[in-house]
Amino acid sequence: MNISKIANLKFFYTKTEKIISFLSILTLFLFIAGIYWGLFVAPEDYLQGNSYRIMYIHVPAAWLSLQTYIFMAIAGFIALVWKIKIMEIASVQSASIGAFFTIIALVTGMIWGKPTWGTYWVWDARLTSELILLFLYIGVIVLYASFSDKRQAVKITSLLAIIGLVNIPIIHYSVEWWNTLHQGPTVTKFDKPSAHISMLLPLLYMFLVFNLYFITVIMKRIRLGIYMRERNSKWMKEYTND
Amino acid sequence: MLKIIVQKELSVYFRNLNNIFLPLIFFFLIISIFPLVLGPEKKLFDKIIPGIIWITTILTTILTSNNFFKDDFNNGIIEIYLTSDSSIELILFLKIISSWFFTCLPIIVFIPLVSVLFNISFDSALVILATLIIGTPVLISIGIFGSALTMGLSKNNILIPVIVVPFYIPVLIFSASAIEAVSIGLSYEMQIYILLALLLLTLPIMPYLLKYTLRLSINN
Amino acid sequence: MEISVNSASCYKNDNLIFRDINLTLKNSDIALISGSNGSGKTTLIKSICGIQALESGNVSINDVDIENKNSTYIENIIYVGHKNSLNNDLTVYENLEYLSALDLSINSNNKLKIEEAMNYFNIYKYKDYPVKNLSEGNKKKTSLARLVMTKKKIWVLDEPLSFLDDKSTDIFINLMIKNQKNKGITILSSHIDLSKNIENIKHLRM
Repeated sequence: MNISKIANLKFFYTKTEKIISFLSILTLFLFIAGIYWGLFVAPEDYLQGNSYRIMYIHVPAAWLSLQTYIFMAIAGFIALVWKIKIMEIASVQSASIGAFFTIIALVTGMIWGKPTWGTYWVWDARLTSELILLFLYIGVIVLYASFSDKRQAVKITSLLAIIGLVNIPIIHYSVEWWNTLHQGPTVTKFDKPSAHISMLLPLLYMFLVFNLYFITVIMKRIRLGIYMRERNSKWMKEYTND
Repeated sequence: MLKIIVQKELSVYFRNLNNIFLPLIFFFLIISIFPLVLGPEKKLFDKIIPGIIWITTILTTILTSNNFFKDDFNNGIIEIYLTSDSSIELILFLKIISSWFFTCLPIIVFIPLVSVLFNISFDSALVILATLIIGTPVLISIGIFGSALTMGLSKNNILIPVIVVPFYIPVLIFSASAIEAVSIGLSYEMQIYILLALLLLTLPIMPYLLKYTLRLSINN
Repeated sequence: MEISVNSASCYKNDNLIFRDINLTLKNSDIALISGSNGSGKTTLIKSICGIQALESGNVSINDVDIENKNSTYIENIIYVGHKNSLNNDLTVYENLEYLSALDLSINSNNKLKIEEAMNYFNIYKYKDYPVKNLSEGNKKKTSLARLVMTKKKIWVLDEPLSFLDDKSTDIFINLMIKNQKNKGITILSSHIDLSKNIENIKHLRM
């Protein structure tokens, strides 16, 4: 049983190098194409003018920030229940990627906020939820960093991620509640693109590109995680010497 | 068995009376700092005092649940729990309850005094009491979960708040919203029901979750 | 009853602590685990009790893995750790009362049993002392007094002899021999060679 698990890590490490290089180049090209589509081809919004175009980064980043948390928690769950090492690595490594998406979503949200609300930051439900999500990611990252025994750390952080996932809907619902109470349903046109299909298609496309980006980066980081964990093992020394 | 466990849990608290009084003193200390910083203007405090009470309660519970398992971990009792054939879930449940009893209940008992100090209306005071009674066991449980996660770490003082405070948000929002609702004459039952739901969701699961967490944490 | 450790290995901080440890013990066996500091004695002891997870290999009792849900290990094993597992604010008597409540093989509220245990290790006179006022040796004896009370058959003890003087060591060895006669199994770690004191002791050097 143990041998198959080691072999699993070894298999992933040795077989994915080329796939990752291919995916990296592919993602880069598709991303540039998507940016071109969003910035130059898609029509201007009759209300927001050109400033809405930041949506092509903001919205996919916000989606991915949540999706990555779900990925992290599910990978953590599999790692804890079935003790699959590669899932431990996947769970831990996705935390910083998720935090990155969250920061992108927050920063683009603030930039978008300036022309829309006249101020960079408004305590609306979306941005506040996103900020709390960032805190949840930070919790997982600092908890992982606090342990010197990383084998121990992955188990503990996986558990935190799972509990976090259970809480996200509750937190989200409570923030929505808080927002309607304090501001009324004013500024939510942000994410309700009643817009034309020619505006939505690039958005959907960018969402897929962001997903591809996530897959590329998580595979890269899993490889790195495997290297860190197995760097003293026989097969890794043999492989890296070749 | 139950009797012995409860007895011992209580004696540990009563032999260190500091355990009971210091959180309460801390609570009053922090609460009295606000008027000194913000100025004693009555209109301002009418609006923000519920928030102040809740934030101060959070600070107090964080500080008390921070090292909840530290002693038991250092002297090896956690190891005995995990190799014991009696109901550890029950013991953990009793530990949560007694921690609440000795850190939150004193604060709740003194809320009438706080109401006098800050001139809170009777209706608002009642709702503040209700939210504290329902909400604080959830806060304590979450804090204890944080301390179980980090039990094996020697330096975890500021780590636990960073991890657990985001989980406090729902309790805070619904409590604050209930108090605000009563102060402007709206119905607050919905918020109380949601708080109750959070309590009923957290408390029965927590002993099992804690036992599992302790098992993961002990490896260190 | 039979307890066996099968090709167990364990890592900490990416360092191999031990690898391929095998040990099988049957009724009346006593196993002494010895080795230098950091050789993994405590880790092995803890993994036998299910406190520490193994990287590979397993521990089984009567051929049932202790991680298996059907395992009865928790009803059979009593663990006395290197740490004393005593609450410093409680008295010796209260601590023993608490610890016996955690062990279902002892009838709780059994005052006589607790007093017998204290008498066995000559700590009856400290009955009402808070544990924090005791010497290390007396703390150790208090924590070992659980063994007098329990009816569990598999004793797993981490450094039980530390802080004990010669006389208490003899008392403790007699207790182990008593468990041996009752067909119990004892696993202990120690720096002291006990083969002079106990016949048929199995020795595991790490």
